[in-house]
Amino acid sequence: MSDYDLIVLGAGPAGAAAAIKARSLGLSVAVIDEAPAAGGQVYRAPSPALTATQPDADREKGDALRAKLAASGAVLYANHRVWSLTSGFSVIAIGPDGPLTLEAPSLIVAAGAIERHIPVTGWTLPGVIGLAGATVLLKAHGVLPGRRVVVAGSGPLLLLVASKIVAAGGEVAAVVDAAPHTGWLARAGAMLARPDLMAKGAGWLLALLKARVPIHSGAAIRTIHGTDGVEAVTIGPVDRDWRPVGDAERTIAADAVCLGFGLLPATEVTRLLGAEHRYEPELGGWVPAVDASLQTSVPGLFVAGDGAGVRGADAAPLSGELAALGVISRLGRGGDLAREATKIATDWHRSSRFGAAMSALAMPPPGAAAMIAAETTVCRCEGLSRAKLDAAIAAGARTLADLKATTRCGMGPCGGRVCGEAAAMLIGAATGWDRATVGQPSARPPLRPVPLAAITGAFDYDNLPIPAPAPL
Amino acid sequence: MSALYDLAVIGGGILGSAAACRAAEGGMRTIVVEQQTLGSGASGVNAGTLSLQIKRVKLMPYAIKGHELWERAGERVGFHKTGGITLAFNQREAELLHERMALKREAGAPIELITPARVAELEPNLSRQVVAASWCAEDGYANASLSGAYYRTLLDTVGVDIRERTPVTAIDRSGGAFELATPTGTIRATRLLLACGAWLKAAGALLGLDLPVRARVNTVSVTERGPALVGTVIGHATGLLTLKQKPNGSVLIGGGWQGTGSPDEGRSWVDPTTLLPNLRLAMFAVPGLDRFRVVRSWTGFEANVPDFYPLAGAAPGIDNAFLLGCVRGGYTIGPYIGTLMGDLILGHEPELPLFDPGRFVTTAAAA
Amino acid sequence: MAGDLRIGSAWARTVSFRFDGELLTAREGETLAAALYAQGRRTLRMSRDDSGPRGAFCFMGVCQECVVSIDGRLTEACRTPVHNGLVVESVR
Repeated sequence: MSDYDLIVLGAGPAGAAAAIKARSLGLSVAVIDEAPAAGGQVYRAPSPALTATQPDADREKGDALRAKLAASGAVLYANHRVWSLTSGFSVIAIGPDGPLTLEAPSLIVAAGAIERHIPVTGWTLPGVIGLAGATVLLKAHGVLPGRRVVVAGSGPLLLLVASKIVAAGGEVAAVVDAAPHTGWLARAGAMLARPDLMAKGAGWLLALLKARVPIHSGAAIRTIHGTDGVEAVTIGPVDRDWRPVGDAERTIAADAVCLGFGLLPATEVTRLLGAEHRYEPELGGWVPAVDASLQTSVPGLFVAGDGAGVRGADAAPLSGELAALGVISRLGRGGDLAREATKIATDWHRSSRFGAAMSALAMPPPGAAAMIAAETTVCRCEGLSRAKLDAAIAAGARTLADLKATTRCGMGPCGGRVCGEAAAMLIGAATGWDRATVGQPSARPPLRPVPLAAITGAFDYDNLPIPAPAPL
Repeated sequence: MSALYDLAVIGGGILGSAAACRAAEGGMRTIVVEQQTLGSGASGVNAGTLSLQIKRVKLMPYAIKGHELWERAGERVGFHKTGGITLAFNQREAELLHERMALKREAGAPIELITPARVAELEPNLSRQVVAASWCAEDGYANASLSGAYYRTLLDTVGVDIRERTPVTAIDRSGGAFELATPTGTIRATRLLLACGAWLKAAGALLGLDLPVRARVNTVSVTERGPALVGTVIGHATGLLTLKQKPNGSVLIGGGWQGTGSPDEGRSWVDPTTLLPNLRLAMFAVPGLDRFRVVRSWTGFEANVPDFYPLAGAAPGIDNAFLLGCVRGGYTIGPYIGTLMGDLILGHEPELPLFDPGRFVTTAAAA
Repeated sequence: MAGDLRIGSAWARTVSFRFDGELLTAREGETLAAALYAQGRRTLRMSRDDSGPRGAFCFMGVCQECVVSIDGRLTEACRTPVHNGLVVESVR
């Protein structure tokens, strides 16, 4: 017995658009998100405490999205963390009022992206935060990452975060971009497809230049210094393959670092459900294999937004609508939608070009593994250095599962979501295999750590369905 | 012309690796062919429990030998002899416990019954609702995750060739040798051992054997690291709970609750409807777990045949082919029974009898 | 690092909470991770492995670096709204 025609995981721009479209064509829809309100990371709702800061364009878009979703009649389960799923589909979550299980014949996963990290010595110090985390602090909480911040890594979030810090009155000590200047130029064609977004990026850049923020391209952090927190950052040049070169280092005083190397599609749900995936560097890495309606190899399982491949916030709603049409067609509801689907698909492909170009710009080349020093902590949860992981690889570990088995890398509470890409880069560096050959990590429940007490709830021992004991 | 091996082993788990090591020690030129990586199947994903209290009576002599081998492997496999307690929470379970442990004790396991008061002394954080319990000082655990790395070293030491990520797609016989077709070329050997766990049925079919092998899908969960709660291996009278806390503070919870999926589908899934009672049973036995978070649950295949005894011996009707698998308690017993298998292949009389696969009616379809 | 990192002053009601016994304030509705970070309490625990200080990193419930103990239960500070009287302990 299904609770809904469709469950949408994620209430960001893709998930919300999917839900609104599906509702408009008569489906019953539930949307589940772990945040307190819809909007996703990009249009994250400001904290209820943040009442009167300057509204910006993203805030307005988010408010419009929240209003439309609320008016659509889709049921939003906010503050619900999905920790397991089974085919068919059951979605198992924990919310403020305890466990929740919902069933539906169709599932659209609009889980967004997670940040790619390349570890650097000192990145475990308090005051080093993800670039994506910095956007949460700035947008949702109105909090600066620091007084004097180094913004480092690769991809468009560098300029976004740095410009937001400057706009909020903070100081950016340096922007450190591993990609060479020419990287941006090489993508200019795709960027010109969206002059509005290009202008947005140029606006960020202009703001940084006006504030006299030093921008170092073709450079990366070598060490973050500090005892109780960030005190200074040493940077140095990298070559076109992002290998540190030369000794032209400089040390910059700073009290915080925002660090990130682009976004990866969040594919845990599609991996858990056994969908096929393929490696698409232009889309941020491993993506679910889909047909034209964004249905995966698992019937009834659709994907939308950055989780289907990182294409950015402007493309996301179109993919959500496309997936919703796919769901409706599959359920045999809503008449002939082919023409509408074709039109949406055309728009989606056009608007995807910019985001995909940005995504590719952030993507580390294989040489980037050389940025990780032997003593650098790679797996933060288990405190494992590159040297330890390299030793396990030298002793025969060839997959992320092997590495986990022999070192516990990825076995801690983050489940490898922070260190997995770096671990894969190390296997690649040692074997010469490309990222596709190294393979994906396995996805297992719970998708995030879950308190045992929250799963088990109150129960009566005598009612436990204990099967017959094993043969004697 | 590719090299001719004396023995090809399909399956790089504990059983296949242990047999390969013994054969190589006996002078055979040996290769292990593994579809994924060494120890990536049941050998690597089981809960690592080494408990005589949950071993079958008839397999007890093998389990005792297995404990000795794991103890010898020691730190390399994360071996810990902690002792183990099996709990009964009601009268029915107490009767089951008394009956079963008496027979296991007769079979040679040093198991004794202990009082609930003694349980509370040994493990103050266990539930106070224990009505009966047993204790075995020989019990403990090892880290199954290290099986692959451990056997890789042993195989390297005795000169066994290892071919990983190499599925065998066909088996032919030509000129007195087996020819294993793989995506990266043909492997030739005069003897063949199938030791591929849950894939034994599929591999047997390549030889024309119809093996009555099925697979159970066992679930294991692990918590993040937390404060010390228990020091011994905790079990339940029905066998449906195994629980131990590793030195790093993480708690491993198993007990053979069934997930879904099959070897044919290529994978298995945790079933939330069986995970729930598994975790509830753990929480009932160790109430302090309410402060822990589960970080990962997973499943692994455990192959079996209808009588739940091993398949270990010559393949019926096929000269120079051997079968090894379906060992209940295979993690514990595997290193030992694999060695016995190596002896059999070398033409030696095994120290303890093996389990002739010929007891199942099988027909060599090709014959 | 001294001072408050909050931008502007247009905030809602102030609530108070305790972190390892110290009485601190937050704006109602703010997450615990943001409230602690904004007032310079960036070290939330010490690593079991290298004894180094650790603090919030991803602010979106992925990295688990900001886990604290509330009523004896491990909780992500970045997903916990602060309310008046909240008692928070660092994880040891």
